[in-house]
Amino acid sequence: MPEKVRELSRVKEIGFMGKVTASLSHEIKNTLAIINESVGLMGDLLRRDAPDDWPPYSRLTNLMGSIEEQVQRSAAIVKRLNQFAHSMDKPLVDLDLNETVNQTVLLAQRFATLRRVNLETQLESKPLHLLSDPFRLLYVIFGFIEGAINCSPKEAEVRVKTARSGERFQVTITDQGTVEADKIRALVSASPSAEGEQGESDLALLAQTVEALGGTIAAEQGDGGLNKVVLSFPASMPVI
Amino acid sequence: MAEYRVLLVDDEEEFVSALSERLMLRGIEVDSALNGEEALARLVEKEFEVVILDVMMPGLGGLEVLRQIKSTHPNTQVILLTGHGATREGIEGMRLGAFDYLIKPVDIEEMLEKMKEAAKTARTG
Repeated sequence: MPEKVRELSRVKEIGFMGKVTASLSHEIKNTLAIINESVGLMGDLLRRDAPDDWPPYSRLTNLMGSIEEQVQRSAAIVKRLNQFAHSMDKPLVDLDLNETVNQTVLLAQRFATLRRVNLETQLESKPLHLLSDPFRLLYVIFGFIEGAINCSPKEAEVRVKTARSGERFQVTITDQGTVEADKIRALVSASPSAEGEQGESDLALLAQTVEALGGTIAAEQGDGGLNKVVLSFPASMPVI
Repeated sequence: MAEYRVLLVDDEEEFVSALSERLMLRGIEVDSALNGEEALARLVEKEFEVVILDVMMPGLGGLEVLRQIKSTHPNTQVILLTGHGATREGIEGMRLGAFDYLIKPVDIEEMLEKMKEAAKTARTG
């Protein structure tokens, strides 16, 4: 990968880290806000001078249940954040592509929800072990999922599927969006440039990272106007 | 009689429910909406002095809702709810005419103070 492209990729990877951590921190803030109001309301109810409704057992029980749910929700979000952080521990590990895709979809879920797009997975039933860079895999898969989300209309579906194809492992992202396969093929083949239109340049940079992981990209037009991007990775990424 | 009418807009239903009840216990008339489209529909049905508006919501985002409120209900004062302070959304919101912003999780006394000032501004135009 040429030095300038490597530098551009580095900038985008850092941007990806920022985007994901900001999203997760926002989700945590929402759970804290619910906990905060629930506790506040419990205090308000207990301080009320209402002898007919004292103590307000059922209300307090409901609020405590809500707090417990939000604590569990927060714990799940922090777990995702922790897994994301640890994806940067080592540049080459033995991983299960299904788990990586699952992790990526969880990270992308909020972005899909904000655009009212349904994000679904269809994972291969058996583990798909490959030797690769966990962070960069997350980065490229997320990038293509995000692209599909951003060009999809409301209530549309983006589907992420894993499969084995001979000695290679595939991640297929299918969407009903407005950017067709021909355009995607052109964008991923283009030379990455800092001056390029955002989004278009991003795809070219993602393509370079896929290539560095030993992967290939195919864009196809499926039945019913579906767009399909197929990322194909080897069992072992090339080591430089 | 309630001091003023508030529309609370946030996609987190439990947050809206708990906060609405807390405000009602303090004598404030509260209505709520779980998304931007619902909020705009409520504003057609009824006048509100103050809107508490979450910035990040699915579908019609908070800033677009703010833009539409300032266009159709210029006297209604909007207080934004944001996860962080001086973000792009917070700054843009103030530029679009938001009265102020609050950072989640909110301090209810701080919120009450800002709502009171906002309601006063709404009435005096």
